[in-house]
Amino acid sequence: MRKSLLYGLAVAAVVLAGCSDATTGGGSGSGSGSITVAGTYPIESLDPHGAQGGGTGTQLAAREIYSRLVGPGTDGKLKGDLATEWKPNADATEWTFTLRSGVRFSDGKPVTANDVAASFKRFMDLKGTNTANFTGYTMTATSDTQVVMKATKSDAAVPGKLATFYVIPAGVGPDDTAFFQKPVGSGPFTVDSFTPSQTLALVPNAQYYGGAPKVSKVTIKKMPELAARLTALRTGEADVVWGIPDDQLGELQGDSKLTVETVPSTAVFTMWFNSSIPALKDAKVRRALWQAVDFDTIVKQLYPQTGSLSDAPVSPITLGYVKQQPVGYDPDAAKAALTAAGFDFSKKLRLQFANAEFRQFNQAVVSDLQKIGVQVDLLEKEQAVFTKDLLALNWDINFQQLSNPTFDAANTLGRLYPCAAKRNGYCNPELDQLLSKAGSSPDEAERTKLYGEASQIIWQDAVGMFPMAVKYAYAWNNRLQGFSPDPNGLPDFATAQVNGS
Amino acid sequence: MTAALELQTVTVARTHPRRWLGRVPYFVLGLYALVGGLGPLFVDYDPVHTSLQDRLRSPGSEVSTGTAWLGTDALGRDVLAQIVYGARTSVVIGVCTVLVACVVGVAVGTVAGYFRGWLDTILARGIDILLAFPAILLTIVIAGAFERSVLLVVTALSATAWISFARVTRGIALSLRERAWVDAARVLGVPRRAILGRHILPFTIGPVVALATLEFALVVLAEAGLSFLGIGLPNSAVSWGQTIANGKQYLESAWWISALPGIALSVLIVNIGILGDQLTARYGRGHLN
Repeated sequence: MRKSLLYGLAVAAVVLAGCSDATTGGGSGSGSGSITVAGTYPIESLDPHGAQGGGTGTQLAAREIYSRLVGPGTDGKLKGDLATEWKPNADATEWTFTLRSGVRFSDGKPVTANDVAASFKRFMDLKGTNTANFTGYTMTATSDTQVVMKATKSDAAVPGKLATFYVIPAGVGPDDTAFFQKPVGSGPFTVDSFTPSQTLALVPNAQYYGGAPKVSKVTIKKMPELAARLTALRTGEADVVWGIPDDQLGELQGDSKLTVETVPSTAVFTMWFNSSIPALKDAKVRRALWQAVDFDTIVKQLYPQTGSLSDAPVSPITLGYVKQQPVGYDPDAAKAALTAAGFDFSKKLRLQFANAEFRQFNQAVVSDLQKIGVQVDLLEKEQAVFTKDLLALNWDINFQQLSNPTFDAANTLGRLYPCAAKRNGYCNPELDQLLSKAGSSPDEAERTKLYGEASQIIWQDAVGMFPMAVKYAYAWNNRLQGFSPDPNGLPDFATAQVNGS
Repeated sequence: MTAALELQTVTVARTHPRRWLGRVPYFVLGLYALVGGLGPLFVDYDPVHTSLQDRLRSPGSEVSTGTAWLGTDALGRDVLAQIVYGARTSVVIGVCTVLVACVVGVAVGTVAGYFRGWLDTILARGIDILLAFPAILLTIVIAGAFERSVLLVVTALSATAWISFARVTRGIALSLRERAWVDAARVLGVPRRAILGRHILPFTIGPVVALATLEFALVVLAEAGLSFLGIGLPNSAVSWGQTIANGKQYLESAWWISALPGIALSVLIVNIGILGDQLTARYGRGHLN
């Protein structure tokens, strides 16, 4: 009798195991219509204003949960989100935005001009990294469907700069963590569950003015290890991955279940020199250092598909891009110039960067500089330490991949290179004048010309080295339709759908 | 006739293949010591110098400076050179750490075991407290908190390695202090230092050597682990752990970057382990015969 009891239990166990397999078979990506995104950058917080608000992870989430006044489409042209119309006054010191009617938050309340104005005040009060674009500006609600932005000077780039500004309901305090655990927004999705730095699960917002998205769920999982992300993509555990290095792109391109695309982005590699230290004060020294590195070969070898040698301080798809005279590779001339300028070869220069994915590039740069006798200490720092040292100017050469979600040079050239910005120790009043004129002129052609002249000063004075324009490589599963890669690394899932196959 | 047969059996036993098998670890370790010691004289390597046109070449390919017998890594640096220089780093750090741990551990253990009383209580409890920490975690904390250098790695690794030496020598000292000759020496008025040096320490040598071999293996592995994590040694030092970490994302395409140093490391550890086992079996844990 004991034996038959055991036998019965064994059979029951097998049957139960079989049943549970059937319901979980297929993994997380399969509940029909749900997609999983494997992200590189963690989403620490869902607050679009404040210290983390400008970060890539938060901006990615904010695009799905909240709405902004205007935002660039995948072609770089500004499209209205909450605003249907936007007009400057005669000298571009005031911008009037007409709001779309019938937009509601996910809790059913209507979005009013008051919410927009209150959000802007909160955005400015919390002093995030993007508020430097709007120092002293105010936004007021002149009627239920209109807001007016008053600038302190002529500013033609206001709509572009607002690409990073998102609207939340009025009355949310500066530290309201409970609200941001399950935030209320007017974007295409609402938050189903959120574990900071781990997973964000989004479900369609039935109240969305553009129609609820067709996917049933979007899960953004953090997978910091590259190998883990790519394996997840190949096994079907993740549906979309982007920011893939060239070395791994070949294997993905050979996979018939995946679509692989590279898009030109607004991101550029930027290697500033700290012009405030005695060793790098002289522009001749900085130009010589730039000449000493064979960036053409480095870019061709390390980034054959996703990189191209830069010919301006901003990327080719940015407003304000003007081609500059390329800096050739000439190590002998560089060494001669350094010796003539009295450069101290025994002093080590500190090169800092913050992400393991840029390690090889920087090691190659250090190697080229070593060939002419310049010693460089390569310092890979943790993101938080890197940012702290960056702002304190505690470096000699700084490597960053700078992206520009506004597609407008006012956000990079205009924000980071004036004397008042104090970001790289370089101060040139003539440059300041050009940048402020370029930022305030209403004529786009005029602005491009002025940014071109500013770029020429930056380029020839070698405020930094500008080695490479970045293309983002996206790879996604063929079951995902209606997905277009975004040039900013912030793709949108509102129009995506999953097909049966 | 039986005598002749016996003679034959003895001859066979002395040249039994198992004896040669037992010598293999010595050969392998000798080879590693030779490669680590003399290899850098014949092989040139600069970790800062990159050669991008030679990147990710498979073992045996031609590169701009000759033949890359074990391939090149993602920055065009020769993997064979990295293994040779890495052997030197591992052996040097292993030997230094074991020496420091040995000296400190034996001193503490002998003093604690011989003198007993409150000194023994303090030292023994101190050892127990340190044993409670997960050793690798303590090493990571120490190595990560300060500026990277070889001295730092040796310090961080010795911080937990000395404990086993202390425990073994304490046990030996405890059992030896009751022996007849130690009693006699005490009665005769021989100074304590001389008793420790002449009557206690010689008996610790056997077990300590056996233990040292095993600790050496663990230290080499721990150092590779620290370098894999990117802490401890500065970028200019070559280490197997660093090379393995650099090949982490190329396991499918350029497997040789991680696999070959990994094999070198495994073979070294296995052989040291076998040798340590042999020595422990021979000299035991302080049994006096």
